[in-house]
Amino acid sequence: MKKLFTAIIIASMLTITPCFSQGTNEGESKKKTLNMYTALDSEEAKYYLDAFEKETGIEVNEVRMSAGEVAARIEAERNNPGASIWFGGSNTDHISAASKGLLEPYKPNTSFELIDILHAPDYEWSGFYTGIIGFCTNTNYLKEHNLEAPTSWADLLKPEFEGEIEMAYPYTSGTAYTTFGTLIELYGLDGALDWWKKFDKNIHQYTKSGTACIARAGLGECAVGIGFSHDILTKGIQNGYPLVMTFPEEGSGYEVGGISLIKGGKETEEAKIFFDWVFTVEAQNLFVKYNRIPVNPDATVAEGAIKLTDINLVNYDAIALGEAKEANVKAWRDTIGK
Amino acid sequence: MHKSKKETLSEIKRIAREPFLLVSIIVIFYLLIAFVIFPIFQVLKTSVSVDGHLSFANFTQVLTKSYYIRPLINSLVLGIVTATIGTFFGFVFAYAITRTPMKGKRAFRLIATFPMVSPPFVVALACILLFGRAGIFSGFIGNIYGLTGLVIVEVIAYTPTAFLALVGILQAIDPALEEAASDCGASRTKVFKTIILPLSTPGVVSAWLLVFIQSLADFGNPIILSGDFSVLSVQAYLQITGMYDIARGSTLAIMLLVPTVLAFYIQRYLLSKKSYVTLTGKPTSATIKNLEWYIKTPIYFFCIFFAAVVVLFYGMVVWGSFQKLWGVDSTFTLNNYIDMWASGKDYIKDSLIVALIVTPITGVLSIFIAYLSARKEFIGKNLMEISAMLTFAVPGTVVGIGYILAFNSKSFFMPVSLTGTAFIIITLLIFRNLPVGIRNGIAALNQIDPSIEEASIDLGASSSTTFRRVTLPMITPALFSSLANSFVKSMTAISAIIFVVSGKWNLITVAILGYVDNSQYAQAAAMSLLLVGIVVIALGLIRLVTSKMGQGMNYSNLEGEN
Repeated sequence: MKKLFTAIIIASMLTITPCFSQGTNEGESKKKTLNMYTALDSEEAKYYLDAFEKETGIEVNEVRMSAGEVAARIEAERNNPGASIWFGGSNTDHISAASKGLLEPYKPNTSFELIDILHAPDYEWSGFYTGIIGFCTNTNYLKEHNLEAPTSWADLLKPEFEGEIEMAYPYTSGTAYTTFGTLIELYGLDGALDWWKKFDKNIHQYTKSGTACIARAGLGECAVGIGFSHDILTKGIQNGYPLVMTFPEEGSGYEVGGISLIKGGKETEEAKIFFDWVFTVEAQNLFVKYNRIPVNPDATVAEGAIKLTDINLVNYDAIALGEAKEANVKAWRDTIGK
Repeated sequence: MHKSKKETLSEIKRIAREPFLLVSIIVIFYLLIAFVIFPIFQVLKTSVSVDGHLSFANFTQVLTKSYYIRPLINSLVLGIVTATIGTFFGFVFAYAITRTPMKGKRAFRLIATFPMVSPPFVVALACILLFGRAGIFSGFIGNIYGLTGLVIVEVIAYTPTAFLALVGILQAIDPALEEAASDCGASRTKVFKTIILPLSTPGVVSAWLLVFIQSLADFGNPIILSGDFSVLSVQAYLQITGMYDIARGSTLAIMLLVPTVLAFYIQRYLLSKKSYVTLTGKPTSATIKNLEWYIKTPIYFFCIFFAAVVVLFYGMVVWGSFQKLWGVDSTFTLNNYIDMWASGKDYIKDSLIVALIVTPITGVLSIFIAYLSARKEFIGKNLMEISAMLTFAVPGTVVGIGYILAFNSKSFFMPVSLTGTAFIIITLLIFRNLPVGIRNGIAALNQIDPSIEEASIDLGASSSTTFRRVTLPMITPALFSSLANSFVKSMTAISAIIFVVSGKWNLITVAILGYVDNSQYAQAAAMSLLLVGIVVIALGLIRLVTSKMGQGMNYSNLEGEN
């Protein structure tokens, strides 16, 4: 017994010290790896990344965070980024990060021309899918209360929905900020804030993640959730939740899902291979499963998925809204107080 | 204690004669400064600087905005309510265990302390499954998102803390005193009022403060259940991860730090007075007498009720994990486990690797520091003790922010950046779990007469030989309870590590929180159960090893997560 303890003590004293000089060696392995931050769900990200790994043999280590968290992480780590590529999240957040000089410009090799709304002027980010803001409403709730699903921003202010609507904080979720941005495009910043002061009474709670409200509306934890069409379809309706999807008739906003290289990232080569891969037909066809609208014109579009051309859209200026994000969010917090 | 120059000099000489001791002291000081003091200092520095200059602008901004003030008030309200109810529950439970002839004490004790071995937010998850609108007791307690729900889950999660603290206190009060009083004709109420209550008051206050600290530092429950009732730990996290605002996030963290540290030191002060313990410190032969029915019945009823609630909450998690689509389709399925395993096995592997590295290092290091502090005299000993205990009082949120600030780039203490490595997670967990181990170690050492060690030294053994051959075998139980605590805490921690996980290294608790965040409650339940299962098996193994060595592990030395 005594010998065992002698051994433990000596071994731990020996290991503690050299332990501190390691740390830098990690990540050096023979197999090619790519460190990634993703704002897509773990499960969905894994679906794409498995296909990518199979095709290229590059192993991807991904961390899932909300788009806001990714941006915060990249900024905090600007001297020593923990990842080389940022995959997913509204382009608004990519634009905001680009304006802080955190992203590395890269024009992907694609078999088609990326239209203007799908990339930054100097390609600090590119868009690989699109999605539209919509409402999802619990059909059981509608039946019980004899109501119609909301079809306009004005409907959301109705007293019937008091304490029944959920969405994320505009400062933690790209989805929620796109919703706020849509209202800014419709009514101007002051108008949007006035609208929101009334809307806040109908909010049950704000969540951190932009997609949480969909399943929560499905569960009946709230009546209405606000999110992107592809999320509503994938996480709500196709999961079997009793939900109906509607769109605001005054006009809805849309997101462009962004991908970008992180400045100072160490695996530039692998990151670029992934970047190009995302725009191939093979990769874009995978989006069918999650109802995202592909940007590659040759890719298959999911059945039932809404296209940008099907809905009345606002003229959503992602770049202006992305650059003004900090100011807009501050105005929102000062007004709403949350 | 004032020492003369001569004494100090001879002290230095004595240490210099023992190079092993000298080197260890230097190494431990380096570790404590680099991994305890430096990160907290960084948070403080960030909160009082704007563009690199000293400025209190962050504080004035924070203190003038309602959306920063409200979380502060909310946190304090939640802490006070939870601590008051939790301490009351803990007291009744401890009274039942120590002063009544209740049957099945072991089972009650096990159930009541069970929330300690599960991640804190599992209770919040169960609360949604039970009392949410899709839950089986839907609407039973109104809106659970807010103060009500938080108080319920935190009381369940932290009553064990109060209970364990109070069991110790009540056991230390000699039942012979009560017996003497009732023999002299005092009524039950009189005995309670004049003996038990005054003798246990410092203990009650200290239990209250412990629960208050835990509630204030809680992150896992409020992030799931706070609704519109925002609290500081969550706000600091959102400020940093949502607003990319490290300066004000740090400021909120400091506001969280002040009341916790204050409460911690009041608690330590109260316990250090010790005047409330009756002389022998051990229960004497006085037996527990049968109590009147009107005292027993409510106490028993209460214990059964609380145990039933705990069983109900965890049972709900089990049931939820087998449902096809929680709230919509309750068909029995194993798919949640299959899904959870497919997307979660890497997290489980990482968590296990990290915990298996952290556990032995924490155990050995804490016992070693305890030994130095209980047995050796050297300059800066107090400083070593205070800084080693610091992480216990500091909320995880503050530690997490401190670690990203301190180790993101090279510094004087650390020649390389640690961000994204397993190393940052491992060191964070080691130094967070250290205080409990040190406390157990000191307590164990204080019970051993130093003359045994002196004899060894007098016979010519060196300090290190004496430690290895004499001291260590005697404090094995303390070592093993440190190991158990360290393993449980490494597997269930969330508030601090959520800031330092990375692509390469991610942990199971973060994955569960991700499921909850996506309202995938069934998968979250499945993974939580797996986690609890791993922890229970590991505790069983540790216990087995300890009992083989002839001494029982002190289960009550587990501490709740901060």
